[in-house]
Amino acid sequence: MGKKKSAALIVLITIVLVGLLFLSITPTFPVTSPNSFRSLLSIVDLGRDLDGGYYTVYYPEGVISKAEYETLKAEYDYVAENTEEGQTPSVEDPAENYVAYKGIYLSTDISSSETGTGVTESFAESFADALSTVKKRYEERGLSDYTIRVQDDYTIRVEIPKLDHDDADAESIAQNMFTLFSYSGGLLFTDSHAANEAGTAEMEGTSEYIRNATTADAGDSGYAVVINFTSAGREAFRSLTSTLTSSESSVTLYIYAGDNQLMGATVSGEMDQDAVYITGGYTQEVAETVATLINTSISDSDVFDLTFESPEYYSMDALMGNSAALIIAICIGVLVLAMLIFSLVKFKGMGLAHVYGFITFAVAVIACISLIPAVQLTMGGIIAILAAAAIMVSCNYYAFNNIKKEFATGKTLTASIKAGYKKSLAFTIDVHAILILASLAIWLIATGPAHFMALVFLLSIAISAVCTLLVTRFYFYMFIAQPKNKIAFVGFKREETEDE
Amino acid sequence: MSKLSVKKTLFISLVISLVLIIAGAFVFGFIGFNPDSSSQEYTSLEVADNGYMAINTSYRTALEEFCLDEIEGQGYDVSDVSYTAEASGGAGRLEFILSGDVAEEDVASFTQALDSALAAQTFAESGSTFKDLGDISVTYHQAVYEPHYEYIWRTAIGIGVALVLLFAYVAIRFKVGMGVTSLIAAVHDVLLTLAVIALLRIPAGPTVICIAAFALLLSVFLNLKVFGKMRQDFRLEERKDLSAREAVALSARESRKGVFIAAILAAAALVVLAVVGLIVGFDLFSFTIGALLAVIVCTYSSLVLSPAIYALIKEKSDARRAERAKYNYASEKANKKNANQEG
Repeated sequence: MGKKKSAALIVLITIVLVGLLFLSITPTFPVTSPNSFRSLLSIVDLGRDLDGGYYTVYYPEGVISKAEYETLKAEYDYVAENTEEGQTPSVEDPAENYVAYKGIYLSTDISSSETGTGVTESFAESFADALSTVKKRYEERGLSDYTIRVQDDYTIRVEIPKLDHDDADAESIAQNMFTLFSYSGGLLFTDSHAANEAGTAEMEGTSEYIRNATTADAGDSGYAVVINFTSAGREAFRSLTSTLTSSESSVTLYIYAGDNQLMGATVSGEMDQDAVYITGGYTQEVAETVATLINTSISDSDVFDLTFESPEYYSMDALMGNSAALIIAICIGVLVLAMLIFSLVKFKGMGLAHVYGFITFAVAVIACISLIPAVQLTMGGIIAILAAAAIMVSCNYYAFNNIKKEFATGKTLTASIKAGYKKSLAFTIDVHAILILASLAIWLIATGPAHFMALVFLLSIAISAVCTLLVTRFYFYMFIAQPKNKIAFVGFKREETEDE
Repeated sequence: MSKLSVKKTLFISLVISLVLIIAGAFVFGFIGFNPDSSSQEYTSLEVADNGYMAINTSYRTALEEFCLDEIEGQGYDVSDVSYTAEASGGAGRLEFILSGDVAEEDVASFTQALDSALAAQTFAESGSTFKDLGDISVTYHQAVYEPHYEYIWRTAIGIGVALVLLFAYVAIRFKVGMGVTSLIAAVHDVLLTLAVIALLRIPAGPTVICIAAFALLLSVFLNLKVFGKMRQDFRLEERKDLSAREAVALSARESRKGVFIAAILAAAALVVLAVVGLIVGFDLFSFTIGALLAVIVCTYSSLVLSPAIYALIKEKSDARRAERAKYNYASEKANKKNANQEG
C-alpha cells in the first residue's frame, strides 16, 4: 500500500470510526426542544435484570385484594350510616360475602372450610387449569426472562421485562400482554357483535380446525397474525365465509377468546385457503402476543373457564439494581480503555491496528444489539459480549506474538507479518467457526435467557471473526505503510535495516 | 510428565471433579439452587396507597422508614424493599420481603398491628396520619415460585447439539482424540460449574442457564487454544521424537500464556462487575461470581484435565499406529514360501 493511499485511508477511517463511536456511545443530550439525541447504546432493549419491567397480579373471579375489600367495606359503611333505621342498606355488606384468606379475600361462593384448601374443590381445579395455561402462554411467548409466582395460593403474580426501550410503548405492550393472557374460554369465529349472541354462522377455533398461529411482516400495515388451518379447518372456514357473504357483499368476521373479542376482519367473499392473514396495525410484539394466545387456546386441555379480573399492572426496578446497566457500561468502557492502552504499550504499531480493529468490533456490536429487534440484552448477553471481546483480543495477541516469533527467526518484517498471520489463520478460523456453530445451535433450539444470550454471542463472535481475520489485518497494513522505520514502529529490534 | 504423573494427574482431577459434581447434584436434587430474587419464594408485607407516595417522595421515604422500623422492631429480617408504581394509574406499593422462617399467624397479626400503627402515626407536621393521607392498606402475601421447565430442557438440548457439533468439528479439523477430549472437557466444565454454584449456595435463578452456556463456549475456546498449539507443535520435526506424554505436556505448557491471557481478560471484567454488584445489587454480584467460577473451571480443565486425558489417548493411538507400522517378517517369509511352492 502506498503512503498517500495509506494516509488518506487513515484519515477517512479515523473520521468514520469517531463518527460511529459518537453515534454509539454518546450520552443523551437535548437537540431542539423537545427532541434529544439518543445514542445507539441508549436504545438497546434491556432485560428485566438490567432495566426492570412490569408485574401484575391476576385475581380470579371470586377473589379480591385487601385494598378492594376495604373499599367495599368503606362504601358499605357510608351507605349503612346514611340508611334510615329499619331499612336495609342498598349495598351488600362485604363481611357477609367475603372471608379473609392470607393476603386476599375469598367470596363465600368459592370458600370452603371443609376441603382443607380454603376453597371448593371445583374452584381449586379450575385455578390449577388456569395457572397451567397462563404459565404456558408466558413460556411460549419467548420472553428473555419472566417470573410467575402463585401468591396467597389463589392469585397469580407475573413479572415480565420491558419489551421496548421507549417507556410508553413498553407499557402498552405489557398491558396488552397481561390482558390477553388472562383471557379464558375457547376461540370462536363468528359475525356476532357480542360473544354471547348467536351469529349467522360460527366456527370453533379448536385444534381440529387450526394448526397454529404465527406472525408475518405485512409492510405498511404493520404485522399480521397468520392463522394456519388444518384441511378440515380450511373447509370449515370456506363454508363459514361462504355462508356469511351469501346475503351481504362484505361482513365483519370476529374472533372471540371466550367472552373477549380478540380481533375482527372484513370478509368480502368465500375464502378457500390454508391460512388467513389478519392485519390490524399490530406491532410485532402485539402480533406475537395474539398468536401465542391463539396457540394456547386451540387445544381442549389449554382452555380454562376461570375468569380473571382485568389486571392492574405495576412498573418495577431492575433486578440487578438501579442504574446497573449504566454502571456496567461505564465499567466495561474503563476496562476496554485499559486493554487498548496495554495493547498500544505492548505491541506498538500492531497495537494501534488492534485499537482500530477493536473499536470497529465495538461499534458493530453496539449497532447490532441496538438495531436488530430480536435482541434483548440481559446479563447473559453482557457476558457473551465480554467472552467474544476476550476471544477477539486473544486472537489478535496470538497473531502479533506469532509475527514477533517469526521476526526473531531472522525473516524480514513483511515476511514475518505474512508468516505470523498464516500461522494464526487455522486456529482463528477454527475457533470462530466452532463457536459460531455452537451458539447457532443454542440460539435455534433454546428459549428464554439462553436463546437471547446465544443470539448476542452469535452476532459478537461473527463480528469478531471479521474483525480479527480481515479488518485488523487491513488496518495493520494501512498503518505499516506510513513510518520510515517500520521495525521500530512495531516495536521490534534488529541491527540490520529492513528490506523495504 | 512421567506415565505415573499423567495417570495421577488425571485420576486426581477426575476424582475431585466427580466428587464435586456428585455432591453438587445431590445438593441440587434435594434443595435445589439457592434462589436469587427472581426465583425465590417469600413472605412479603405490602403497604399500598392511593397514589400519595408518587406525588410526595418525602412522605414515601418517611413511610418506608417507619414501616421498616416497625417490621425490624418486631424481629423480622427484611431482605429487600421495593417501591412499585401502578403504570396506568397513580397507586403505589411498598413491598418488604421478609427473610428467614416467617410464621403465617404471626405475620397476619403483625399486619393488623402495622395497620393500626400507621393509623396512629402522624406524618411530619401535616397533622394527618400516614393511613389517612395515603389511604393506606397493609397486607401480607406468601408467594411460591413456579418454575418454567420448557426453556430448561430446550436449552439442555441446544447445549447437547452444540456438544455434538463440537466433537464432529474438532475430530475432523484436529484429531478424533482431541474431539473426544474437548467433548469430555466441555461436559465436565458445564457440570462442574453448576455443581460448585449449587454447593457454594451462590444465589441463582433461571439465568444460571446462561452461566452454563458461557462455560460451554469458554471451554470450547480455551481447549481449542491448547489443541491448536498441539496441532501446530506435533508437525514440527523436533517434536516428532518426543513421546506422546512429553509432546502433550510441552505443548500444554507453552499454551499456558495464551490461555491465561484469555482467562484473565474475561475474569478481570467479571471481577469488576462483581464489585459493582456488591454496591448496586446482589443479583449482579451472584451472577458474575457464577460466571467467574466458569472461567476458573474452564482454565483448570484446559490446562490440567484436557492435556492429561489427551496424553493417554495419544499414547494409545501412537502405540497402535506403531504396532501397525511394524514390519511383519513372519508374514513375508510365509508369502515367499507360498510363492516358491507355486513356482
